Amino acid sequence: MDKVVACQTCGLVQEVGEVPKGCVIKCARCHFQIFHRNVDSRMRTLAFSIAAAILYFPSNFYPIVTAEYEGQYNQTTIFQGIKALWEHGQYFISGLVFCTSMFTPALKIAGLIFITLTLDWTRWKKARTYVFKTIRIIDPWNMLEVFLLAIGVSLVEMGEVATVHPGRGVLSFASVVVLTLLATFSFDPRLLWDPPEEKRIYE
Amino acid sequence: MSEKIHGLPKAKIERNYLTWSLWMVPLAAAAVCVYFVLHDIVFGGPTITIYFQNADGLQAQNSMVKFRGINIGEIESLKLAKDGEFVAVRAKLGFPARNLARQGSIFWIVRPEVKLGSISGLRTIVSGNYITVQPGDGPRTNAFVGAEQPPLPPIPAIQLTLLTGNLDSLEPQSPIFYRGIQVGEVMGFHLSDDARDVVVEARIREDYAPLVRMNSQFWNAGGINFHAGLFSGIEISAESAETVVSGGMAFATPPDYGPPATNGAVFTLNEKEKDEWKTWNPAIQLHNVPEGKTIKTSLPQFNPR
Ligand SMILES: [Zn+2]
Repeated sequence: MDKVVACQTCGLVQEVGEVPKGCVIKCARCHFQIFHRNVDSRMRTLAFSIAAAILYFPSNFYPIVTAEYEGQYNQTTIFQGIKALWEHGQYFISGLVFCTSMFTPALKIAGLIFITLTLDWTRWKKARTYVFKTIRIIDPWNMLEVFLLAIGVSLVEMGEVATVHPGRGVLSFASVVVLTLLATFSFDPRLLWDPPEEKRIYE
Repeated sequence: MSEKIHGLPKAKIERNYLTWSLWMVPLAAAAVCVYFVLHDIVFGGPTITIYFQNADGLQAQNSMVKFRGINIGEIESLKLAKDGEFVAVRAKLGFPARNLARQGSIFWIVRPEVKLGSISGLRTIVSGNYITVQPGDGPRTNAFVGAEQPPLPPIPAIQLTLLTGNLDSLEPQSPIFYRGIQVGEVMGFHLSDDARDVVVEARIREDYAPLVRMNSQFWNAGGINFHAGLFSGIEISAESAETVVSGGMAFATPPDYGPPATNGAVFTLNEKEKDEWKTWNPAIQLHNVPEGKTIKTSLPQFNPR
C-alpha cells in the first residue's frame, strides 16, 4: 500500500512503502516523524492515564504542605484544605477546589481509560463520544489545579514566619496534573470515528 | 506503481522504540507509591500513647513533641481514655526519636508558667504548648503515663529523707545549700503515716555527697530571718534571693564529723539555724573517688529552672 504523503514539518512530498507493525515513518529530508493520526495515540493516552490514576491516590492521601512554627505543625491534605474552607463558610471556593482538584481529575482519568480500553468495541460508540465531550468541557477547569499549586508555592514563600516544606502530596499532585495533560494531548479524537481497519493502523 | 512517479524521495521506515518504553511511565508511578509505603514502614517512628490528667493547650494535628529543642514527633489525636480519668494523647515519633519510646522515659507538657521564684516556658505563650521528654533506657514500649510536672533531670546523687514538723515554704525542687552553694534539691514530700511529721525526700549531688555526715544538721533556710537587737538594729538575712520566694534548706557538718551519710539516711530538719552551727568549718575531702573509677561529670544544666 504505497502512498504519497507530504511531511507535516518541512512539506516534502515523498513516497511511503509498507509500514510493518511497531515501526514509524521518518521524513527523508528532515527526519521528523510523519503521522496521519497522533502517534501511538491510544497507547500513550492509556499509559499516561494509568500513571495518573496510580498517583491520584498518594496525591490525596499525603499532605500537600507541612508548616512548622515553634512548637506547632500543620499538615494539610487536599481534602483537609477543602474541609477547612467549607467550615470557614467559603462554600463556593471550597466547592470549586473540590471540583477542580479532586473530582474532575478523577473523572478525566477514568474517562480517558474508558475510551482507550473500549475503542475496539463497536458498541458504546455513543457513550465514548459523550465521555469525550465531557472531558473537553471540564478540561479548561482543570487548569485551576495550577492555581492551587501556585498557592502552595506562595505558602513556601512564607518561610520567614514558619518552616514550610512541600509534602509528598504536592509531588504526586503535580505529576497527576502533568500526566493528565499529556494524556489529553496524546489522545486523537479522530480515533473515535475511524473505521476499525484504519484504527488499527493509527492507534 | 512507484516507478511511475519520478524523483520522489522514499520515506524511511524505522522501528518505534517509544512504544514499549512508554510503559515505564506507569511503572515509575507505581514505584513512587511503593517507595512511599516502604519508606513509611522502614523509617516510620513508633506511635506512642501518653496518658495525661490534663491535656490543656495541646491540639491534635498541631502540637509537637520536642526534645532538646528540636521537633521529634507530632501529636495525632487527643482522646478521653475509656475510664474518663485520663486524656490519651497519641503521638507519632520520627525515626531518629524511636529510641525515646522506652520504659522510663518521662513525658510532660511544657506550658507557660509564672510562679514564685521562676518564670518558665515563656516561648509557649507564642508557640502553644508542646510535649517534651526525658529519655529512659528500659525496654521498648508504646504507652506512657505523662508527668504532671517537669521531672528533675537524673544526675548521680544520694537520696536523703528529712523529717520536719512543718513544711514552711519548701516545695519540690527547692534548693539545698551548703555554705551558700547549691548542692542538691528537694524531690518531694508527704505526710508520715501517723500524720505527725512531714517527710521530705531530697537528694544531694554525688560530688557533694561526702559533705553530708550522719551527724550533720539541716535547717529550713526559706524566708527572711529578722534579728532585732537593741543595739545592733534590725538584721535581715536570707540564704539566697531564691529561698526568699521558693523556700530552701541548708545544712552544716560538725568538725568531729561522723561517717558519710548513706543512701536513704534519715535526718531531722530543724526550723532554725543555731549560732553554733555557723562556726562549724570541717575539712572534708570532696571527690573521694576510688582508683579506677572515673569521676562522673554532672549535667551542665543542674537546675532546669
Ligand atoms: Zn520533512
